[in-house]
Amino acid sequence: MDNVTMARINLFDVLRNIEDLCEMDPESKALIKDENLGVEFNVPEVGSAVLTFKDGKCTFTRGKGKSALKLYFASPEHFNNLISPPVDPKTGKPKMVIPIFYNVFKVGFLLNTFTKLADRLSHYLQPDPAEKDKLLEDPEYFKTNTILTAYTAFYAMSEIANSDFVGKAIAKRMPDGVIACEVGGTDLAMNITVKDHRFVTNKGKVEAPRATMIFGDLQFAHDLLNGKTSSFTGMGTGQFQVYGFVEMLEQMAKLLSQVSIYLA
Amino acid sequence: MQLSYEPKKIYDVTKSQEAFKRALKVVPAGIYGHLGPSEGCMIPVSSYPLFMSKAKGAYFWDVDGNKFIDYMCAYGPNFLGYNDPDVDAAAFEQLKKGNCVTLASELLIEFAEEMVNTINMADWAFFAKNGGDATSFAVMIARAYTNRKKVVLVSGYYHGVAPWMQKLGYAGITEEDIANNLYIDWNAPDQFEKLIKKYPGQIAALIATPYYHPTFVDNQLPPEGYWQKMRKLCDDNGIILIFDDVRAGFRIDEKGSDYHYGIKSDLSCFCKAIANGYNVSAVCGVEKLKNATSDIMYTGSYWLSAVPFAAGIATIRKAKATHAVEENAKKGIKLTEGLKEVAKDNGFDLRVTGEPAMFYMRLGNDFPSTILHQEWVAECVKRGVFFTSHHNHFINSALTDADMQYTWEVADEAYKIVKRNHPDANYIK
Repeated sequence: MDNVTMARINLFDVLRNIEDLCEMDPESKALIKDENLGVEFNVPEVGSAVLTFKDGKCTFTRGKGKSALKLYFASPEHFNNLISPPVDPKTGKPKMVIPIFYNVFKVGFLLNTFTKLADRLSHYLQPDPAEKDKLLEDPEYFKTNTILTAYTAFYAMSEIANSDFVGKAIAKRMPDGVIACEVGGTDLAMNITVKDHRFVTNKGKVEAPRATMIFGDLQFAHDLLNGKTSSFTGMGTGQFQVYGFVEMLEQMAKLLSQVSIYLA
Repeated sequence: MQLSYEPKKIYDVTKSQEAFKRALKVVPAGIYGHLGPSEGCMIPVSSYPLFMSKAKGAYFWDVDGNKFIDYMCAYGPNFLGYNDPDVDAAAFEQLKKGNCVTLASELLIEFAEEMVNTINMADWAFFAKNGGDATSFAVMIARAYTNRKKVVLVSGYYHGVAPWMQKLGYAGITEEDIANNLYIDWNAPDQFEKLIKKYPGQIAALIATPYYHPTFVDNQLPPEGYWQKMRKLCDDNGIILIFDDVRAGFRIDEKGSDYHYGIKSDLSCFCKAIANGYNVSAVCGVEKLKNATSDIMYTGSYWLSAVPFAAGIATIRKAKATHAVEENAKKGIKLTEGLKEVAKDNGFDLRVTGEPAMFYMRLGNDFPSTILHQEWVAECVKRGVFFTSHHNHFINSALTDADMQYTWEVADEAYKIVKRNHPDANYIK
């Protein structure tokens, strides 16, 4: 695991989830309903991204953009510590991570709304193990948890393929083409475009993919993404269907298995 | 091709699927490895048998009682036909006398003599169980002889499943496992030459299959002069040339695939066909490597079992007597020419590559997705012709003209179904 890849995942994948969180989670939606600003994150060796809050919606954009609040981090590690603060050995509590920011008048958003949004994201993606099973009994929580986990995994996969040492070795074996991923019985769909061994993940269905993987239903997607079953088992039972140029899916499965190294 | 036939029966594989559910409870992935639905690319799995009840000649029967013409031949070991009476008789006779015993059987010598007398490059033979045992040992021999670490492999290779043979990013494989591997593309002597210059005096071996036969892509035969160039580069630089003849051995030339392509390897690895399904593999080597080989501790509990030796001797003798290698190649040509004709009659562009007894098939119509071909294969399997969509196939000696005729009829029916399901695909006129 390297800090640059971790920062790429945090910037282009974990932060991106706030866009979906504000769509799916009523509490998050309420938190941003009166917000109207852009927040730009700048991480050396990684790049920039903007979260724009406007008209009760959040939009994630890769690269620089219109933003009232600009945050600069000293290093990829510095940014990673914002997303997953290290625990202070003296207090046993997470350490406060402070970025260099531009526009002191907007810093309240960072300390208040953004922190609450981050907590809501953790509620869905990293629930307290003692409460997780109970939370998953709620169908809405289960759905949001699974969808956000799926987005996290597939977006992280592309960052790993483009940046991580092992990921790049796998990506080198990947031919060009588009892979479609769908979950049966839902609108959840993603696609991964591979060109010259570089990966881009996007949401939505595609026409004429080179290879297709279909999770039978949300439950199977949840179980597979949470390590409760295996793709080989699912292929045998028919819960996990693959079509087309299967070699692409084989390599993609190897990349997906690298995701847990970064997002255990 | 003029074909007149009754519609074929569609097989029911319910019992296979029930057995698979039972297997999932106690066996990782239900059926692991290449015979399983995942590695075996059984798409969709509902079309495929998963467990066999018996096999004979060119056929196997599944647990639902369905009979299949088997073009995978257990992924190679079925060479003369399943349960060949002469091979089985030799094996059963030895079983009565003794199999896995404290002392080696003299059949060890007899089998080694048979290999040495058959394989052109062989001055000696060493036996193990699986192809991967043989390829791993060959690399150890090369390292022991040269006192060098690095091994050159050809991209797209498959030499077994030991950690050094796998790839970075595969489950359970570390960077250190493959730290001494160097890679070149197929048909790229210039890349080999560059590696030799980059790692002077450090490369122990080049290990490669006789021709390019990875999964999922068209197979490629070596161009004229290719192996001669690679042989010379090895000779000029003290590099051991290892032929992984595990898959192609006795499917191209009974004297060895290196002989067929006009060179002599230093080490050749055999498995699959050499004992018609009995579990034995072999490394054959040249005289200069015998002492280095003798000094390596490499063995296993069943590696000197006598029954597979008896089966191996009987297999090779029968193969020579019946000219099995040549005959199987002729069958491969006849079968695939017929399949191409059937495909063309239906508007499909079937591409067949590789050596005739190990043919690989794909469609030109559905590049790059392979979906039409996958569907066609599944329709064939549902009617009793066992193909795969990802791997080369194998011909065995028990395959008859009637089997080929049945195969063409099934192929025709399957192409018509695929065409009906995809009326707008890119068909040839």
